[in-house]
Amino acid sequence: MNGFLSALRVEILKVYRSKVLPFTAVGFSLIPLAGGLFLIILKDPEAAKSMGLISTKAQITVGVADWPAFFNLLAGAVAAGGIILFSIIPIWIFGREFSEHTVKELLSLPTSREAIVSAKFLVTAIWTLALTLFLFGVGLVVGRLVVIPGWSTELLRAAFSDIMLGAVLTLATMPFVAFFASLGRGYLLPFGWTFFTVFLAQIAARLGWGDWFPWSVPALFSGMAGPRAEIIGLHSYIILILTGLLGLGATLYWWRSADQTR
Amino acid sequence: MSNYAIETDQLTKRFGDVLAVDHVNLRVKRGEIYGFLGLNGAGKTTTIRALLGMIRPSEGNVKVLDQAVGPNGRGPWAQVGHLVESPSAYPELSVRENLDVARTLHGIRDSTATTRVIEQLALVSYADRKAGTLSTGNLQRLGLARALLHAPALLILDEPANGLDPAGVVEIRELLRTLAHEKGVTVFMSSHILTEVDQLATRIGIIHKGQLIEELDTEKLAGLRANRLEIKTRNNEAAQISLQSAGYKFALKDDTIVIDSDYAIEHPDDVARILVNAGNPPIRLAVEQENLEDHFMKLTGDGK
Repeated sequence: MNGFLSALRVEILKVYRSKVLPFTAVGFSLIPLAGGLFLIILKDPEAAKSMGLISTKAQITVGVADWPAFFNLLAGAVAAGGIILFSIIPIWIFGREFSEHTVKELLSLPTSREAIVSAKFLVTAIWTLALTLFLFGVGLVVGRLVVIPGWSTELLRAAFSDIMLGAVLTLATMPFVAFFASLGRGYLLPFGWTFFTVFLAQIAARLGWGDWFPWSVPALFSGMAGPRAEIIGLHSYIILILTGLLGLGATLYWWRSADQTR
Repeated sequence: MSNYAIETDQLTKRFGDVLAVDHVNLRVKRGEIYGFLGLNGAGKTTTIRALLGMIRPSEGNVKVLDQAVGPNGRGPWAQVGHLVESPSAYPELSVRENLDVARTLHGIRDSTATTRVIEQLALVSYADRKAGTLSTGNLQRLGLARALLHAPALLILDEPANGLDPAGVVEIRELLRTLAHEKGVTVFMSSHILTEVDQLATRIGIIHKGQLIEELDTEKLAGLRANRLEIKTRNNEAAQISLQSAGYKFALKDDTIVIDSDYAIEHPDDVARILVNAGNPPIRLAVEQENLEDHFMKLTGDGK
């Protein structure tokens, strides 16, 4: 692909210099920090009772103050919340080129449009996975500081693979966000799309069709709606992968063919 | 290799019901400075975007530097520098980094190319400033620097003087003239500022309501810029006979006798004396110059 490495270098520079990078890191660190707060509350039930609503919320969110419950919380946040949180990344990477009118500098170049779009997707993936690692790392520190029971190396390995796999599954829903950022030439349409898919994912899961609806699969995988094995199967993963590929193809096709008037 | 840097054949672009560009046939010779004039909304930017492969023509073809500009971004872009509409840059990157982005995407490894255009466009004192803090004029300079970064054979510039102060306008004009004359760079520039185009272009195309309504070559432009003597009398027929017998060649435009000989322009008193002696004194006698502006306004219906 003509100029892919050049395009990748440029995309990395833009992300590295942007304020969105630390903003997302701070945003993501709030998840384990909030989880840590719930752990503290759950560790002291007397104090929790006197705190009213927040203790109820802590019990619903984490359940018990131990490592398995805490890792479940993180996995759920990545897989279900990730559809909204991670969408900030492709929305910014693709949408900014239109809202800042820089897209016209990316079209008539020796570096192909395919290379530019592919580099943007790769940076989206790297950024998403790096944020997940960061969240996991902050989670480990928080869990250690709060001192909760139930730690084991096996659990760590299983939790790590679940959280990272959840992020990968969520990542598969991102190409359509990029597509709508391109189609809408900015930020509004992809945000609308993201919230729309989250809304539909809830309905699909409630109706019991979540295993067939790609945007429900990451949340079901994380176990938020019950034991994963009973709900999702190979067909769910295939649909999710096909959705990701369709989004990639649609975005590439749009960049190659659509009139660029910004 | 053809003589033309840009060729369009029946280039047409429709946006829904709006016909933005209507069967335009452009031929821009290599090494010339082609001014593309038109009112706001005449179709200049749409034409430029079609030349750069940013929009797909509804009909017709575009060839740039002998290569068909096709869908999917195909074109001779390593040899083309461009500036389209308002300048844009990544605000969080410095001027140098913005240029490095363009350099990287052009596949140029030599970082001195960035330094060269920074100096060429007088951006040295802003090189390490974030683009988001630049004035419109300096953003325009950054856009021009980006267009020149890879030493292109063809420059396609949309309103290059936008946002520049008067000194900057002169500076860019001289830069473009030097590039065309000394380096053989073809310049295709659009503008709605007539004086700017008039002072720089060797050929001018006028687009109005999407149609290329006239092209003025060097000869026609020189004709437009030339002086002429305009005469009105109470009896133009008698005046024509008097002037003819005195050996003057003239033309009649509406109710005005027009003489373009250098002698008459330098000695209008002689013409007046002939007419007075013939008992038909002039009621108006003036040395006039139809400039590009008059011509443009006439063509575009006073800009309406």
